[in-house]
This record gives sequence, structure tokens and C-alpha cells, in this order.
Amino acid sequence: MFKFIKKIAVFVFITFLVLELLVRFFHLQDEKPNRYIDEFNVEKILPNQSGFSVTGNRRQNVGEFKINSFGFNSIYDSYKPSVDSLEIALIGDSFIQGFHENYKTSLGQKLEDKLSNYKVYEFGYAGWDLADELHLLKAYDSIFKEIDEVVIYIRFTDDLERGEYEVTNRLKNINTPFKKILRNSKLIIYAKDIGVVNGLTGGIINIINKVKKTKELSKENSITEKTNNKKRLLNFEKLIKSYPIDKDKCVFLIDYSLCDKAFVDYLSDNDFKTIDFSETFKKSNKEPTLVYDQHWNSYGRDLLSSLISDYYKNK
Amino acid sequence: MIFNSIEFFVFLPVAFLLYWFIRNIKLQNLFIVIASYLFYGWWDWRFLSLIIFSTLVDFTIGSLLKKEQVTQKRKLYLLISVIINLGFLGFFKYYNFFVDSFIDAFSFFGKELSVNSLNIILPVGISFYTFQTLSYTIDVYRKKLEPTKDFLAFSAFVCFFPQLVAGPIERASNLLPQFYSKRKFKYKQAVEGLKLILWGLFKKIVIADSLAPIVDDVFINYDTYASSTLIMGAVFFAFQIYGDFSGYSDIAIGTSKLFGFELMSNFKFPYFSKNVSEFWQRWHISLSTWFRDYVYIPLGGSHGSKFKTIRNILIVFLISGFWHGANWTFIIWGAFHAVLFLPIYFLKNRSNRIKFLAPFSIVFNFAVICVGWVFFRSDSISIANIYLQRMFFNFSYEYYLHPRGFRMIDYFILLAVFLVYEYIIKDNERNPFPIKNKVFRYITYILVIFSMLLFFDDGVDRSFIYFQF
Repeated sequence: MFKFIKKIAVFVFITFLVLELLVRFFHLQDEKPNRYIDEFNVEKILPNQSGFSVTGNRRQNVGEFKINSFGFNSIYDSYKPSVDSLEIALIGDSFIQGFHENYKTSLGQKLEDKLSNYKVYEFGYAGWDLADELHLLKAYDSIFKEIDEVVIYIRFTDDLERGEYEVTNRLKNINTPFKKILRNSKLIIYAKDIGVVNGLTGGIINIINKVKKTKELSKENSITEKTNNKKRLLNFEKLIKSYPIDKDKCVFLIDYSLCDKAFVDYLSDNDFKTIDFSETFKKSNKEPTLVYDQHWNSYGRDLLSSLISDYYKNK
Repeated sequence: MIFNSIEFFVFLPVAFLLYWFIRNIKLQNLFIVIASYLFYGWWDWRFLSLIIFSTLVDFTIGSLLKKEQVTQKRKLYLLISVIINLGFLGFFKYYNFFVDSFIDAFSFFGKELSVNSLNIILPVGISFYTFQTLSYTIDVYRKKLEPTKDFLAFSAFVCFFPQLVAGPIERASNLLPQFYSKRKFKYKQAVEGLKLILWGLFKKIVIADSLAPIVDDVFINYDTYASSTLIMGAVFFAFQIYGDFSGYSDIAIGTSKLFGFELMSNFKFPYFSKNVSEFWQRWHISLSTWFRDYVYIPLGGSHGSKFKTIRNILIVFLISGFWHGANWTFIIWGAFHAVLFLPIYFLKNRSNRIKFLAPFSIVFNFAVICVGWVFFRSDSISIANIYLQRMFFNFSYEYYLHPRGFRMIDYFILLAVFLVYEYIIKDNERNPFPIKNKVFRYITYILVIFSMLLFFDDGVDRSFIYFQF
């Protein structure tokens, strides 16, 4: 019996090492660049990193990223706007950050191809909401006042959950010593990304719940969608009050099909400029998003870049 | 609790270690009963009452059959056991089917009935443990088996967790005596068990679960896909269900070995069969032999006129189909196999004698089996008909895109490698890694585990297909 257990332990250990090597050899794991909070309390990616973002099993999608000196994924090493040239800033979350694509074919690059007289600077960071985005505009006002146009991407259902900006604990949770150690194992990173670890943690939670007999009761969600939508509109109003934006310069890139009508009406009544892509996506005969996640694929980015460029051509 | 869940991976080593700490045979059996009830109750503890009741009924009837010598009374006891066991099975599994079929039949003749079907949950494994306990009572009735006096051993036999929910359907004559003697840890047996568990997990995770999204997609959109895709869907389902069920059986047999038990083999590489008759000697063996021993032979088997033999074969295949599920598709599937089986039975497998025909026979037989699977997988007979019509009479080719964007070539390579490997190991279904050289054997283990990492799909329903039966 002891021999059996000892052999299993040795087998597990060696197998772990071999699998770790195989994952590294085939580069199956996602490379996540380090992040930090800068002196203006803006959560960003540590500058000057590069690598490959890998999604899914068997390297289903590989996107190369290159973080510039400003902390954003872009072909530009730094952002130096000037009054002599025309610039557009693209601000948003993972959709703008574009780790699911090659940084050379990002939405910003596709837009730049269509608007030859503009430079497009991308300010994308996965997990950002409108509060983060507006805080960035304020924190780097000296840069943004030199930039001629600003496109802010928001998703009504995700990006309006808070009405004021404060630094989140997200990075603290990511950078615990235990997680730092785990991050050294590419096998664990890969297993986590494909859902194996989620299965483990989910299962353990399930076991604890069963043992404790505290089976989570499906609490009736008293907050209806209507209340949520109201709250989102209030948050928007609050944020705009705290971080006033130049309505001539800023335009919201937005999917109206996800928005509450009251929010759409509010934007229109208050002269906020928007580029709605819901109809374009709906009418498209090809899928504009990736198969395995919600991010825009190359075709989706083509559609969006056309929409944005048309907006500026008509402006 | 399912074998490919984290709960089971916690449960198994804990149960294994505790079990081998126990030196007393009674306590070992008690531990198995408790562990098995925990294993089953994890899914829904309410249905444990059915297992306990079934255990009590069959243990009592077994004891009564031993004491009773009057044939009429013995028949009555057997009848009580059969009615109770099949009654539960009939109610939980077939009530709604009969009600719906009754309503359909009346509406066919223009009469609308308003009988409500019930929202009945099918207790997992009821078809399996019902047949297992029935085999005990029938064998005792036939005086082929001495009824047990050890209630604990009998309870452990009924609820033995590795094979409780999806078989193999064990015979009392094989499994029950193993509970009478104290199990001793055997290194070789435990290692064999682990190998089978590993291979079973491979078949489940890499073959069955990775093909599931493709099969689901094809069978949902059967009316839009080209025939080339429909053929691929049927072939993939053949591999999915084989990987799923034989994978489960391997894990069950392997787990039993870890606890010192030997279960019967349930699969012997069925897709290498040269005809349907051989297929049924290799596919779900525990069920087909159950039907042979407890239905076909009591009906007279082949001892009688040709008509009677045909009748008996038809009955067995139809019941076998119906056992799989309360849907006409399963009955048609059973009938389809009966129709294929009968000529082979009467020709006495003559085609097998010509050796060079063997590869062609295997391919042809596999194609025929795949046609049968279309009935098995479809939600209704009309869907199966449309599927087959489009597959055979509307031939066209189209490039199929994986519903989640994976490369399809990966799956074709995977299946080709799997088939070749299965062919290499086909001489012994109990030893999936018959590689003598230690280094090569270890490389094979690594490849198997690595492929699980490559093909693991978090998005699929990981439960086993046969749980629904």
C-alpha cells in the first residue's frame, strides 16, 4: 500500500513537470502582462512589455501584443500628440485593448488606414468601465487636450455599474504572493484559462456548501432590470457631472441594442454624440464577433472602423 | 457525483485510504454502503429511499424463496419482486411515455384526451440497479444462487458505487460472493485499476466530450446541413457514445479494482465487429447477456421453431431498445438491430469465414451501426427519418465549421489515432496500456493526460449519456 502511494506521488510529480515543459514548449499558455497603478491612480499595464495572448485550448486564437511606454497596446511606442497633426484617441476596455488580435490589425490601425490624415492612439485596458475611462481623460488632461477627437467605447450593461471613480482592489487580489507563485507555472495558467481550475474551485465550493449544508438558496433578485437600468443612467449622469467632457470632441461608440431606451433618449436630449453600431452588426451577413468569445473579430473591426471613419468624414 | 467531477476526485482517494485502513470485513462492507449512499445521495438523496427499499424487498424475497419449497408460492414471491422492481422503473421511466402514447393514439382516431403527464424526475441508475437486483431474485428462484444471509453484503452488492449508476450490470453470482470475503490490497490490481481509470477518462474527456458540441450542433441543425456533415454527425456520435459509455465502464471497473473487486467487462472494442451479431457480443455486454439469460432463454431461445426463434430475438431487441429510454426512437433502434441480426443469425456468420473480407465487413458493419445511431440520437422518429433521407438521398458536400471555432482537422486526426490505438490494444480490454517498455509506457500516459488538457472543454455538459437511461 505504501509502495502504491509513494509511486503515485512520484508519478504525479514527474507528470506535472513534464506537462509544464510541454505547455511551455508548445506555448499553450496565455501571457498576461504585468499591471500597475500609476501616479495618477490610473490602472494600466506596465510599459514596454510584449508577448502573445493565447485563447482557448490548442492555441485557438493567438494575438500578439506590444505595450508602449504609456502602458497601452499599440503600434506607437509613445503618444506624442501635437497641434500640427490630427489625432484620435480610442478609449475602452478589452475590446479596445485588443489582446484577442494582433496589435498591428487592431481597431485603431484599421481606422487609421481609413482616415489617412489621422493618427489613432489606443487607450484600452481590460476591465475598465466608464469611471476608469473618464478618470483617464481627467488624469492625463495635458495629453488629451492635444488630441483632436476622442472615441469612448461603452457597454451599457457592463460599464455603468458605478457612479464615481475609485481605485479597485483588482490588482491587490491578482498580486497576492500565492498567486504570484502560481503564475510561474505555465501549466496552471493554461489549466486555469481552459476552465480546468474553475472546475476544481467550483467543485470545492460545491463540496464546502454541501458539507456545511448551506446550499446557496437562489435568492430572488429583487432588483429588477428596470431598477438596474435606472441606476446605470444615474451613474452616467453622476460621472459626467464629476468628469465633464467636451461634447464636440468626444463621441461614444455604443451598441444601442444593449441600451435602455431612457438612456438612449438621455444621450440624444443632452446632445451627446454617439456612434451606434447595433444596426450595422445586425445587418451584417458575417459574424462580427469571435466564435469563442464576445470580442470583435477582424470583420467586426472592419465594420466598426468604417462606421467611425464615416462619422469623422461627415463631421 | 460523476466520475469526471472534482467531487469524485476528492471522494475517491479519501474513500480509498479509509477503506484500506479497515481490517474487518463487516466494517469494509459497511463502509462501502455508506460511501455508496454518499456517492448516490450527492446527486439527490431522496432517491436513496428507492435503492434502500429495493434492497430490503429483494433481500427479504431471497430469504423467503430459500425457505419456501411450494412452487406456486415461490412464483408468487418472484412475481412480487418483479412487480415492485419493474413497477418503480415503469413509473419513473415510462409513465409519461405511456400517457403520451395513449393520448397520441386516441388523437390519431380523432379523440382528444386530456390526461396530464407528470413532471417525474428519472432517478439516476434506476435501470441498472433494478436489473441487478432482479438478477439476484431470479437466480435465487431458479436455485442457481444461494440467497445471502448477510444483509450488509447484499446492500453493498446493490449499491456498490463504481457501477451503481451506469453499470456494468453485475450478476449476483459474480459480485455478491466478493463481499463475503475480506479484501486484501493488491498492488498489481490497484495499478490495473488506475490504468483503466486513466483510459476511461481519456475516452470520456478527449473523445466523447470533445465531439459532443459537434454532434449536438449537427443533430439540432439536421435540416440545414449538407449530407456530408450529417454523415460526419452520425459517425461522430458513434464515437461519442462509445467513448462516453465505455469510458464510464472502464472507470467503474478500474475503481472497483482499487477497492479489491473485479467486475465483468462491458465493452470489447465493438466497432471492430464484422457484423451486428458480433457487435452485440462486444457492446454493453452486461446488458446483452442479461437479456440473453433472463429474457431470451426463458422465452425458449433458439430451441423451437424458426418462427419462435425470430419472435424471441425480436422481443429481446425491442425490450433492449425500450430499456434505453422512453421514446419510440429507441424501440426503432432496437428493431433496426433485430432486422440486421436475424439474417446473420440464420446464416450462422458465414461471411466471417472469408478472411480477406474482414476489413470490408468491419467498415460496412460500422456504417450500418451508424445508421442505427441516428435513430438513437434523434429526438423523434420523424427527425431521424428526415436526417437519414437527407443523408442518403440528397448528397452534397460542404465544409463544416466547428461551432466553437476549433479546427476540424484536429478531430479527424484524433479519431484516426484513437482507432489505430484501439486496434493495437484490442486483444485485452482490461489492459489499455500493454506496453512492456517502461519509458514508452510512461510516454503514452503523458500523451493521454496531455491530450486531456488539449481537448478539455469547459463548455460541455460533462455528465455521462447513459445516466439518462
